[in-house]
Amino acid sequence: MVAPLYTTDSGLLFHAGKILVIAIGLPARGKTHISRALERYLRWMGVKTQVVSLGDYRRKNLGGAQKLPPDYFHLGEKSPETIALRKKISDGCEQLIWDFFQTGQVVIYDANNGTRAARQTLAEKFHNKGIHVILLESVCNNKEIIEANIRSVKISSPDYRGWDPDQAVEDYYTRIRDHEEYYEPVEEKDWPYIRIINVGEKIMVNNIKGYLQSRIVFFIMNIHNRPRTIYFARSGQSLIEHSFKADSDLSPAGWEYAEKLKEFVVERRAKSLEQRGLNPQEQRLVIWTSTRRRAHHTAWPFLQAATSTGSSTSTPAATPNSMNLTFVEEPKPINQTPLNIKVIEKPQMSEINPGIWDGLSPDQARKYYPQDWERFVKDPYAFRAPRAESYHDLSVRIEPILIELEREKEDLLIIGHASVIRCLLAYLIGLPASEIPAIEIARGDLLEVVPASYGVHCQAFHFWDGPGRRGNENAAVTEKDANNFYENYAEDTKGKRKVATQEPEASISAVLETA
Amino acid sequence: MAEFGVPPSLNPDSREIAADLTRAADALETMQASGDLAPVVTTIPPTSPGIPPALFGAGGPMLKRFDHESAVASRTRSRAASPPPTVKGIGKKVAKPDYSEQKIVVAMVGLPARGKSYLSNKLMIYLRWLEYDVKVFNVGQLRRTKARQKALKLGVKENHNAEFFSHSNVQGTQSRDNLAEESLEMLIQWLKKEETLGFMVYIISIPDATNSTRSRRAKIEARLAKEKGMSLIFLESLCDDPATIAANVELKVSQGDPDYKDHDFLRRIREYEKVYETITEPHLSYLRITNVGEEVAMSRINGYLSSRIAFYLMNLHIRPRNIFFSRHGESQYNVEGKIGGDSLLSPRGMHCVWTSTLKRTIQTAQYLPYTKLTWKSLDELDAGVCDGMTYEEIEQAYPDDYANRDEDKFNYRYRGGESYRDVVVRLEPVIMELERQENILIIGHQAILRCLYAYFHHLPQVDLPYIKIPLHTVIKLTPKAYGCDEERYTLPINAVDTHRPKPKTARQPSINSTTQRRYFVEDEDQTKVSA
Repeated sequence: MVAPLYTTDSGLLFHAGKILVIAIGLPARGKTHISRALERYLRWMGVKTQVVSLGDYRRKNLGGAQKLPPDYFHLGEKSPETIALRKKISDGCEQLIWDFFQTGQVVIYDANNGTRAARQTLAEKFHNKGIHVILLESVCNNKEIIEANIRSVKISSPDYRGWDPDQAVEDYYTRIRDHEEYYEPVEEKDWPYIRIINVGEKIMVNNIKGYLQSRIVFFIMNIHNRPRTIYFARSGQSLIEHSFKADSDLSPAGWEYAEKLKEFVVERRAKSLEQRGLNPQEQRLVIWTSTRRRAHHTAWPFLQAATSTGSSTSTPAATPNSMNLTFVEEPKPINQTPLNIKVIEKPQMSEINPGIWDGLSPDQARKYYPQDWERFVKDPYAFRAPRAESYHDLSVRIEPILIELEREKEDLLIIGHASVIRCLLAYLIGLPASEIPAIEIARGDLLEVVPASYGVHCQAFHFWDGPGRRGNENAAVTEKDANNFYENYAEDTKGKRKVATQEPEASISAVLETA
Repeated sequence: MAEFGVPPSLNPDSREIAADLTRAADALETMQASGDLAPVVTTIPPTSPGIPPALFGAGGPMLKRFDHESAVASRTRSRAASPPPTVKGIGKKVAKPDYSEQKIVVAMVGLPARGKSYLSNKLMIYLRWLEYDVKVFNVGQLRRTKARQKALKLGVKENHNAEFFSHSNVQGTQSRDNLAEESLEMLIQWLKKEETLGFMVYIISIPDATNSTRSRRAKIEARLAKEKGMSLIFLESLCDDPATIAANVELKVSQGDPDYKDHDFLRRIREYEKVYETITEPHLSYLRITNVGEEVAMSRINGYLSSRIAFYLMNLHIRPRNIFFSRHGESQYNVEGKIGGDSLLSPRGMHCVWTSTLKRTIQTAQYLPYTKLTWKSLDELDAGVCDGMTYEEIEQAYPDDYANRDEDKFNYRYRGGESYRDVVVRLEPVIMELERQENILIIGHQAILRCLYAYFHHLPQVDLPYIKIPLHTVIKLTPKAYGCDEERYTLPINAVDTHRPKPKTARQPSINSTTQRRYFVEDEDQTKVSA
């Protein structure tokens, strides 16, 4: 039962206290991945959270590894200057943590913290000031995971700018080896701890108490760092766009859209899988839709393609007696192999409920409910019209979906409603709750989200133009966000945060990345 | 136009509506002109002038006309060989979703009196409530049942004392091994039989500690590896707090556990402690719970359901507490016999004071001097297009659909609204939070409280939509190790009865609110099969 929750003045969950999560682990053990994912989740819950990264701080203040004294990364004997330098950096980080705790609630300290004595000193310092300390260790003894991590994340860091990749990997291994000599795994039972072995293969939890803490454990149990892609698309246009209750079927344009969507997803995915060196036939695509008709009927062409046997049965020659063949279009050559897909309907993914405003246009809503409308326009995230859901309510409702989204290992296509996609995207990108209602999700754009270690890469592909792409462009309502209250109304883009759109042919590049 | 139930606000001069709304309104005008538009049921008059009623409610003619027209028009551009069924009416029964593809066996591990039965019972209730098929196969139950049968039929009395359980008693060990194997075979048979159901979880509860040793675990593992698609998780309950163990033993004695009759149990536990080996096998999937949640270790826990199980177990506690349920005070809609809505309390309802999110529950709670929390998830089941209608009105407008709902009320989803199943899915996070809470009062709605109540009393789905939760009544539940005690307090304030019994059947849900643990197998399946 969590969501972007509290908009209290202090920004703190009232009963949870302040928490310092000390990340522990040798280099390239996925600490950063876990820290960032946790930060994103907690922030989405409305908890003021900050990752303090020792590596980033050092690079910012001292520069890349080239500028450091040669004994900086050796844990053996060091010159007094190096010791002073290292102390300066760790003191600086500690100061950052204290500063953040002035107003914030959770700090995740992303550093090696490899010796027991150092952890003890650090933990005691904060514990004595009433801050709950959790040790979060990431242990990894699987060489493949480590090497993959080094290659994908570490050697692209500024420390290795201009290095030959193999040499950089070699150098990094040396750095790890030095740490390994002094590394002490977490065995101190006097502190609450979470130990993660091989990115979730095994998780050990000691003495974790409290609401936020057990949420953290549950979340960590569900994350993974395998490469995958998440696609988002809106459902097709329906017959009555602005009615929640009517739960109407797709309009003719909606059916056409559904066909186009299937073709485009298959094509786009084949390309991206090829780049990853995978065979699209072997990789299953999981599709989630809501239980609303417009959404799961949009997935209908996928289901059809999944059951098609590959033999053409609709050639006119084969059916000489059927007189009334009225194909609107030429029957397309039937796909060679059936699609490898699975469609799942999720009741939590229904669009935002407009309550008593159901069936009204924004203009009408403003006319009949002027006071409510005014409040809605002022705070479209938190305002709940009578019997309606606010975006906050919606976020609470889809929280179980977020956990399932984190878990899912296969490629995923979410055919959803603009309001639901806004919430999910805001979570993945890490946007503040107040911006959720303003995210533009145009019908006819396929959003492609690829999780990476510091955030996600997100880009949009425009594949369809037609009725209902941007809702009612003639509506008189012009306030920012106002048109987005209704699920299927207006996707007016004036003054809104926009996910940059690319034409399908355009080259792939990261458009929106959070760091 | 108003006489046909069309909102008075939609007079031609104020019509600045979107194209699709125009389409629906045009349809109405055409109908009116052709004379085939009869007011089916009049819509509720607007509560204040100028506010339009719901446009697409089932009470007005708009929905029927719209369905009729759209069925023809909408598919013209679908290329699908078999289009999905057309949409009409006020709702339909929805199929049970495909949860997943695997079958899970959860094997309990732990010394006697460590709360294994408690944990497996809680887990079974939780998973069944979420519609998974779960069955507990309990070796202890089987042993006791068999011994009882033997005693009844043959007059042979077996002595299940410490000697029987001693690890050095070859015959006893053999006999227990056989029972454990027999139990496992029954479990596998059951798993295989239920092929049509998408997803099943099985708990094999072996409190007689044969599971405590590595070799027993290895045997189970090897046996299940021969079957396709069955994954195995061990759930170990460790407890080194003497007070907790003593409390468990006391509970067993007070509940009349046949094994604990002769106060032999302490010796018996010692027999087990001699051979007990905690799980350290690195290749096994396991969850280890120490001192009821104080520490939880997880190894190789993969899969959504497994992590849910783990999270659920982490949220459990055994501190004594009471849970109070109350519906909101009687509302204006209750008086008028309408469903759904968001009406104000009637004057009578204002007398009783107690929490949720629609006006009627917030009002009900207003005089309570406690911290109040409003949860959207506790809102009443959404009746969609039927919101604000009486059952009679629905029956009159859509007689066939109305009958369908009674056929399978749990799975019936109102168009544009929810089914009871949808409500159960929506309430799952509430249950999770509720397990964490101590004393708590929930002021909710009929359907919501039915779902929560069914969870605590472990009532089957078919009965769930017919549970009686009257107005102006406080239900107090006290969770015990094997069920809940219940007390009901009816407030001396009259209220209408909103309960609609299941038509044409005599069977009404029977509340089996026992807190008694079952020591013998009551399910025939589990004793018939021979080893």
